[in-house]
Amino acid sequence: MNNDVVIKLVDVHKSYYLANGEEIPVLKGINLEIKKGEFVAIMGESGGGKTTLLNVVGCLHPLSKGKYFLSGENIGEVRDDFTLAFIRNKKMGFIFQQFNLFSRFSALRNVALPALYAGTPCEDRENKAKKLLGSVGMGSRMNHKPTELSGGQQQRVAICRSLINNPEIILADEPTGALDSKSGLEVMDIFTDFKKQGRTVIMVTHTAEVAKYADRIIYLRDGQVLDNDYKLKSEY
Amino acid sequence: MILEIIKMSFDSLMAKKTRSFLSMLGIIIGVATVIAVFAVGKGAQESVNSQFRNLSANSIMIMSTRGRGSVSSSKLVTSDAQAILEQAENIASATGAIQGNATVSYGSTENSYGIVGVDHNYINVSNLKIETGRGIEEEDVSGRSMVAVIGATIASDFFIDGEDPIGAIITVGGKRLEVVGILKKLGSRLGMISIDEAVIIPSSTAEKSILGTKGQVMIVTTVDNVDNTGIATSSIASVLRSEHKLSTTQENDFNIMDAGSMVAAAQESAKTMTSLLTAIAAITLLVSGIGIMNVMFVTVAERTKEIGIAKAIGGKQSDILLQFLLESVILSMVGGLIGMAIGQALIPIISYFNLIAMASSATGPIIGFSFSVVVGIFFGFYPAFKASRLDPVDALRSE
Repeated sequence: MNNDVVIKLVDVHKSYYLANGEEIPVLKGINLEIKKGEFVAIMGESGGGKTTLLNVVGCLHPLSKGKYFLSGENIGEVRDDFTLAFIRNKKMGFIFQQFNLFSRFSALRNVALPALYAGTPCEDRENKAKKLLGSVGMGSRMNHKPTELSGGQQQRVAICRSLINNPEIILADEPTGALDSKSGLEVMDIFTDFKKQGRTVIMVTHTAEVAKYADRIIYLRDGQVLDNDYKLKSEY
Repeated sequence: MILEIIKMSFDSLMAKKTRSFLSMLGIIIGVATVIAVFAVGKGAQESVNSQFRNLSANSIMIMSTRGRGSVSSSKLVTSDAQAILEQAENIASATGAIQGNATVSYGSTENSYGIVGVDHNYINVSNLKIETGRGIEEEDVSGRSMVAVIGATIASDFFIDGEDPIGAIITVGGKRLEVVGILKKLGSRLGMISIDEAVIIPSSTAEKSILGTKGQVMIVTTVDNVDNTGIATSSIASVLRSEHKLSTTQENDFNIMDAGSMVAAAQESAKTMTSLLTAIAAITLLVSGIGIMNVMFVTVAERTKEIGIAKAIGGKQSDILLQFLLESVILSMVGGLIGMAIGQALIPIISYFNLIAMASSATGPIIGFSFSVVVGIFFGFYPAFKASRLDPVDALRSE
């Protein structure tokens, strides 16, 4: 296998089960490869399995069937919480559409939280968090609670949180979906920086303006990869 | 790390102050009850001990059953003591007494006190000491003298300005008696009578002039050896039956109690009370634990989304378990501390109003507090466990 491949999915299936035992297949045999440092956008119709795919890659969902190679290692069958939590904590950073910050905590404590789970000493955590918040222009607002921040500011705090443990992979689910276009652009600027830092980015989006920042677009339809290198129409 | 998680737990409890306080209330009441229970238990124990402190293990008491059960009248008289001493086996000493209450006055001071009519052996047999003057002597009993030996409290109540009580004339139940002695302060009770607040007079005087048939006759005997208590008890019974000329079909018109079984019975009833109250305290703690469990379930339900986020950013099951468990433990510990403070504060208040005998003990607070922590862990574990096992994606989707 090519050493540059960070994520490789082979015939990945994921089904949900209703209370009556009925199976709802969402991913129906996904095959894809994502290289180190690549910025990939996942597009597709609603209900096509974009978010489920992201959750599978982010180790939030166990696979129903198939193989998931992370840096060459098949973790598709790993069910042990300790290992999965370690991967989510150290290897990946999650960015959500609705920011998902802890409303009771200040921006600083929100950013430092993953480092707390990683066991980083208090002082290191705070220094790292302050540095990150400073780098996205939030240095003066780090003691504010999320409710005292605008959407764009909250998303910048959430981005800092995803970076605190210096993960290889950033997973973003509609990161600009809840933002106005100006804040959205600012967020996409940060995403472009991820590429310069050598991070692999997988971003779910349904808007072409956002998807055009990516190196490659994977198009999903009905739980399968329709196109591994989807081209946007030229007007974007 | 653990410190930070404790801080997080504190923050979330402080965010819901009213709820936190209400769920603590059960623990507060529970722990305060435990402390009160231990104080009552110890108080009961101490009052049993002080009641019987002056009773040696080889004492046997005989009391009339007059007015009780099927026997309508008892022929027990103080002079039966003499018959027992002479005829019953293994008896080292015997003394008769008659007890009752009467109004005692001196000058303008008047009060109702316990009256004990005794023979010349009583003061010695009962381990009493004379402070000043003399005791009741054989001639006082035979001559039905109008003399009295008074308890220490009466002496200090009646004779305030350093007046010498010896030789003073007090009125007891309308009869004038001369004070001939004062007893040393005892501080405890002797059977039913508080000796410090009693007037001791010759038994003949009491039976004939002051108490009459209203008095309760009591004979205190000592056995030569504790091992002979059983023999002595049955021997006393047969002597008294023949003295009272009871036919074989008639029941005893007296009760015989030996000191050992009296103390045992009193301690047994103190123990029963303690275990009953302990059961109540345990139920209170159990109910408060269920309350905490309920509140924790509500908290977990409310913070489901938070749990999802925590998992997505790398929180382990154990991190989430620890956080929620700590919240319930903090709730119950703080509740326990408040309960301890309230429980300890209640003891002097209740003692002040003399509602029930209480004595503070170290075991009460320790057990109360430890139980509160155990309740927090035990009842907090299940909600915290449930929280830690939530599916991260489902949790993230909840609002």
